[in-house]
Amino acid sequence: MISVADLLVNDRIPGSYFATDAYVRSDLEMGLLENRQGDRLIALPETLIQAIYSGLDKETGQASRLVLFNCGRWWGKNFYARFCAEVTDYYGIPLSNMAMVEFMQALQQCWITHGWGKVDLDQSYQHRGFLVIKGWNSAFARLALKHEQPVCYLEAGILAAFFSQLTGKDLHCIQTTCESMGADCNRFVLGLAKRLEPAETMVTNLAHDAIMQALCGEN
Amino acid sequence: MHPKIESAFNEAENRYLHPEELGIITQYVESLPKRMHAYCTLRDKEMTIMQQVADQLVKTLPGETTEALERSIKNALLVMRYCAMGMLLNNEAFVKERLHTWMGQSMKAYHSQTVDSALYELLTQSLNQSLTPQQLSFFNPMLAAAQAEFLPQDQPLTAAALGW
Repeated sequence: MISVADLLVNDRIPGSYFATDAYVRSDLEMGLLENRQGDRLIALPETLIQAIYSGLDKETGQASRLVLFNCGRWWGKNFYARFCAEVTDYYGIPLSNMAMVEFMQALQQCWITHGWGKVDLDQSYQHRGFLVIKGWNSAFARLALKHEQPVCYLEAGILAAFFSQLTGKDLHCIQTTCESMGADCNRFVLGLAKRLEPAETMVTNLAHDAIMQALCGEN
Repeated sequence: MHPKIESAFNEAENRYLHPEELGIITQYVESLPKRMHAYCTLRDKEMTIMQQVADQLVKTLPGETTEALERSIKNALLVMRYCAMGMLLNNEAFVKERLHTWMGQSMKAYHSQTVDSALYELLTQSLNQSLTPQQLSFFNPMLAAAQAEFLPQDQPLTAAALGW
């Protein structure tokens, strides 16, 4: 016997918090974009993203990768705090108590609604201590200056910080495939910095599967 | 609001509305008290309808865990609420946008398609008993729009579907 009335908490059933039409609000008169909690959102024009890339490249050269990664880490740390607060508030349970399926759905929808493309989790290497995040339609990949290696350092930094906060472990993130190089998607490998280190030099000449094999084979 | 009505309101500076456009608005306005009534019926009978479905579901699928059944019922309650609001607004897009991808993904992740198929069949039966034919004519398009978002549709037998 299932009591339907007992399934409701305070007579509400949470839906998809980050559903685009419910999450993004605009005030045309003030020229503002807000989320459903009333927090400000900013829109990044393509020109700005391109300018950040080319400006950094000119000013810092190769170091721009590290600068972008660190900016991403900073962004990711704050993003995690906001994500956590909003999700906890809406679903009424702490993030740590959320089922993996629901957590991933919230993150995926959040990613889409913020205009960062699609993301998905590949758990094939989880038992070896690595998480793979796949991403599609990234503006950061599309607008970056073309290189012979993956270019989404900002996103790698965001993911490293986000999952470090989530797991309580200091994780690093390396991108192994990139849409800017014609790959089907962007693949980011998350793991402990020491174990991921060898992959830094592999990304220029090895495919994702080969890198994963090399990383896992080390143990 | 129905997209056709919304687009009619955008024509103010161009022209007075055509009779068929006014017809759509009249139709909606005239149907609004009935939609409100159907909405109130659904609100008041929400628990009765779903309890009926839950009791039948337990009997139909004795092998399923309570957790799985409860999850599907909870989702269905949410779908009903979205559909009821969609019916009030006369806007299927509202239902679709709120359910888009996540509900289907959730069902896939929890492998709940069997439970959900049985549940929505029972729900349709329960609704047929609780709503009048006219109320059903307002509500069913919303429920169909919702189901199209998450229940697998029968694919036509074409060469492409067969991968030829």
